[in-house]
Formats: sequence, C-alpha cells, structure tokens
Amino acid sequence: MSALDALWGLYKREVIKIYRRIPPLVMTFIQPILWIVFFGSSLNGLPKEALLQMFGTTNYVAFILPGQLATSMMFTGTFSSMSIVWDRRFGFLKKILVTPAPKEAVFFSKVLGAATRGLIQVPVMIAAAVAFGVVLPADALGYVEWIVGLMLLAIGFSSIYLLVAIRSSDWQLPQLVANILNLPLMFTSTALFPKNFFPWWMRDIASVNPLTFAVEIGRGLLLGDPVDVISLGYLAAFASIALAMGLLISRKYLTAE
Amino acid sequence: MSSEAVVAENLVKRYGDVTALAGISFSVHNGEIFGLLGPNGAGKTTTIKILTGLTPPTSGRAIVAGFDVVKNPNEVKRRVGWVSSEVILDDDLNAWENLELQAKLQGVSNWRERATELLKYFDLLPHAKRPVGNYSTGMRKKLEIATALLHSPEVLFLDEPTIGLDVNTRAMLWDLIRTVNREFGVTILLTTHYMEEADALCNRVAIINLGRIMAIGAPAELKSSVGGEVVELEVERPIDLSRLRELPDVVDVAAADGRIRITVRRAEEAIPQIVRVLDFAAVKSLRVEKPTLDTVFMKLTGKRIEESHMDYRKFYAMIRRARQ
Repeated sequence: MSALDALWGLYKREVIKIYRRIPPLVMTFIQPILWIVFFGSSLNGLPKEALLQMFGTTNYVAFILPGQLATSMMFTGTFSSMSIVWDRRFGFLKKILVTPAPKEAVFFSKVLGAATRGLIQVPVMIAAAVAFGVVLPADALGYVEWIVGLMLLAIGFSSIYLLVAIRSSDWQLPQLVANILNLPLMFTSTALFPKNFFPWWMRDIASVNPLTFAVEIGRGLLLGDPVDVISLGYLAAFASIALAMGLLISRKYLTAE
Repeated sequence: MSSEAVVAENLVKRYGDVTALAGISFSVHNGEIFGLLGPNGAGKTTTIKILTGLTPPTSGRAIVAGFDVVKNPNEVKRRVGWVSSEVILDDDLNAWENLELQAKLQGVSNWRERATELLKYFDLLPHAKRPVGNYSTGMRKKLEIATALLHSPEVLFLDEPTIGLDVNTRAMLWDLIRTVNREFGVTILLTTHYMEEADALCNRVAIINLGRIMAIGAPAELKSSVGGEVVELEVERPIDLSRLRELPDVVDVAAADGRIRITVRRAEEAIPQIVRVLDFAAVKSLRVEKPTLDTVFMKLTGKRIEESHMDYRKFYAMIRRARQ
C-alpha cells in the first residue's frame, strides 16, 4: 500500500539520519551516561541503610536508571519537532508534499524517528548501569513491559512536541517548549526521587504524570517489586491519544511553509 | 489524453492584501517546453505551486495532466515532477537513498531499474553511494531532475532551473533539459528570469509581470511583434536612400546625424538587398540590432527585466503584515 510505502521511506530516512549525523548521536549516548556516572554516584556516600530505606536499594544507580531512561524518552521527543522545523526551512517538506504521500505519514515518521532515537539508548544505558554494579533480574516479560512502556512514552511525547511545531519554521521554538515542559515534568515524576519525598501537591501531579508510569514499570522490575500491568495501559492511552491527535491535526494543518 | 498538458484559467492568488496572481490564463501543449518569463516576484513560483497542488488558488481553475489541481490534487501529484529553484535534496543521504525515498513517496514499485537507468543517463551512477552533501552544484541539480523523473511524470515543472549556476553548468543543463524533453517525452514548464534562457529553450513563452501575463507566443513571434530587426549604417556623407524603400524586406527607414536606421523583417535576408541598392563606398560601419525577449518585455512593461525585480524584503514584510 502506498501510504505504508511512504511511511516506510520516510522512517528509513529518519533512521539513516540518526546514525549518519555523528554529533547528535554522540550526545544521545553521552548525556544519559553522564547522568548515571555523576548523578547516580552523587548519593553513594550515604550509609547503605539510609539508601535502602529511602530508595529500596543500596545502589542509587539501580533506582535512577529507569528514571533516567524515561526522562530520556521525553527529551529525545524534542528531536521530532526540531526535525520538522529543519525540513520546513530547507524546503524538504515541499518536496514531500508535492508527492501524493499522505501528511499523516510525514507526522508518523517523525514520531517513530524520535522514538527510535530514544530507544537505542536503552541497551547502552542498561550496560552502563551494569558496569556500575546494578544486578539485572532474569524476567524476560518484565523487560518487554519496560521497553514497550518506554516506547509508548516516547511516542506520546514526540507527538506532543511535533504538534507544537506543526506549522512553525522557527528553530528556537522546539527548544523553548522543551525547556518549559521537560524540567517540570521530570521533577514532578518519580524519575529522580520517590513520591513520598514530595509535598502533597507534587504527589498529585506525579500520580498522573506519564513519566511516573514508565519509571515505575522499570523500577518495579529492577528492584523486584513489579507494578500492575495497568501502568502500561495508562501509557498506551497517553501515546494513542497524543498520536491520534497529531495524525488528525497534521492531515489538516501540516503545511510546507 | 487531451492535447493540453496544462490549462490554467483565470488563476488568482492572494496572500491577505497582496495579490501574487491577478488572474492568469495559459495552456501548455503536450510535449512542448513552455516558459514563464518574468522578473522576481512576478508570480512565477506561485503559479508553479498552484499547478503542482502545493497551494490552492484563491480562485480560478487549473487542469494539469488531465486533472483538476483542487479537486484531484493526488492524481495531479502522481503525474507531475517538480524541481525547485533551490536544490532540495537530503544531504545526509546518498543519491541512491534520495531516489529510494522519492520512489516510496510516489509509490513507484519497480524503482531500482528506473533509478539505475536515470543515474546512468545523468552520469551519476559512479557517485550513487556518495553522500549528496559532497556533490557539486551541477551534480545536485542533475540528481534533483533525476528524482523528479523517477515516477515517469507527464509534466515536469522546473522553477528557475539555472539560477545561480556558472556558465558551463548552465549550458550543460540547457542541453539536459532539451534531451529530457525529447527522449523522455515529458512536457516541461519552466520559469526563468533569464531572457536568453527562455529564448534558447522554450517552444513558447508567457511573459509575466506583477501577477499578469503580458504576452504569449513563440520567442520568434514575440520578438517580431516588437517591430523586427534594425540594420544601422554609419555613413561619411549623405547618400541616396530612395531605392531602399522599394525593397520587400524593408519596413522603415530613418536617417539622422550620419546614421541610417533601416527596420527590416530579417536582417540576414535584407542586408544583401541593401548592399545592392546603396552606395557602400560611403558606409563606414554596419551594425545589426536584433530584438531580444528583453526588448519585448520593455515594450510591454516600459522597464527592463532587471529593473523589475521585486524587492524581496519589502515583499515578505508585506506578506507577513497581511497574514497577521
């Protein structure tokens, strides 16, 4: 089918760009590793009992890894909006839109591209965490749930960021939006600290923040306290709504200029 | 298939208060090279955007390759190729990957053979696996034309195909455009603000200025419409001009300050006749003036093409204001 052909062609382009553009690729891997190395080590001086009591593990890296990966999915979502802004500025969108390829395929390919860029971090980060002494449980299904959860999170956030830039050719807009959204969402999730550290109003936000759900799935796996599969359902709903909105809106409002 | 590849009827395009096209009509015959000649800002690119389905007209109708651009944009898009004035390729991809993407977007199934054939034809096959970012401007332009031909379009739109190119690359591209038109049997609609380009390439030309078409015709027709060619003689002493007016190819004779301006139909044929009837011992020099499309443009608009380019900063500022 030609719509799927178009989607495949466009997605392939996004993937080629991921591995052929070296600086952003390096950043994609270096940044999360820096998190593990520095932020992950920042609490190592605490007594083991204190760590165990606060985080449910004696290795803070095991606690931060799922948080960091979930946050990364959100951060790399920004790539979708940057990429559409550049395609518009270079005229590439015109080139796509003078073909019969559906506009939804353009939107979806950018979302999948950003999600892919996020997900390639997962194996690298897990390996880095193992190097820092994290012990991996043997639970195949648990990993599948975790990765699917991260993928849904990435799809949801990429869709939202892409929607913001659906008609823009301002290359500063994606960064602006990312700065406004990323940090509050990260701090009001359980990515860095457990919910019981928070004041009541932040706990309320944390319990609806999609980041929290993806974090908790991974943390449940690593710390041996699996969460309800309903978390995955929540993320699926988040991703589907954001994506569906994006596809509908792009069909009507995506323009070449 | 009808005999017209493109029919534009009274196309109007407004951006807020700015009128980019003030109602243009023309048609392009199947198989010809048709040129839209005019200064920057005349409405050439807007016309192409409408005809390729990229933007709808404010009013008017356009039929391209047999389909209405507003009612059946996808049918039109399947049948046209478009090469922008700025080269648009993905520099991170190689030529092969750029072609593959285009194939997927156009839904071409047997694209590999077609792509190989095109790369070979355009002498790009040895460079197919090199990132396009390393290509020369001429190669990039060729690759863009190849991508536009991948799905065997009926009509190829070339927007300012040689803008910013050096003389050699331009000559190469002119040849290429002619052979593509002939060998691939594709109708070509190109825009240009180079009169010599329109003259050299196009079977017919529409002169466009300020969103209006001023004249349409074959370059030779347009040029002869402004009064033919002039043979100018510089003479040392007054000579007898009476027999000149009897010559069949002479249209008009004017003499002043030792210069005789003879307006003729075709200088090549008129000069031998003139030599026979005038006392050439008194002639110091002979000069032939042939009208160019610029002469035509000047006659129609009162300005040269170069003087008529729109101030882009003002134009975009106007559009921005209009959109707010």
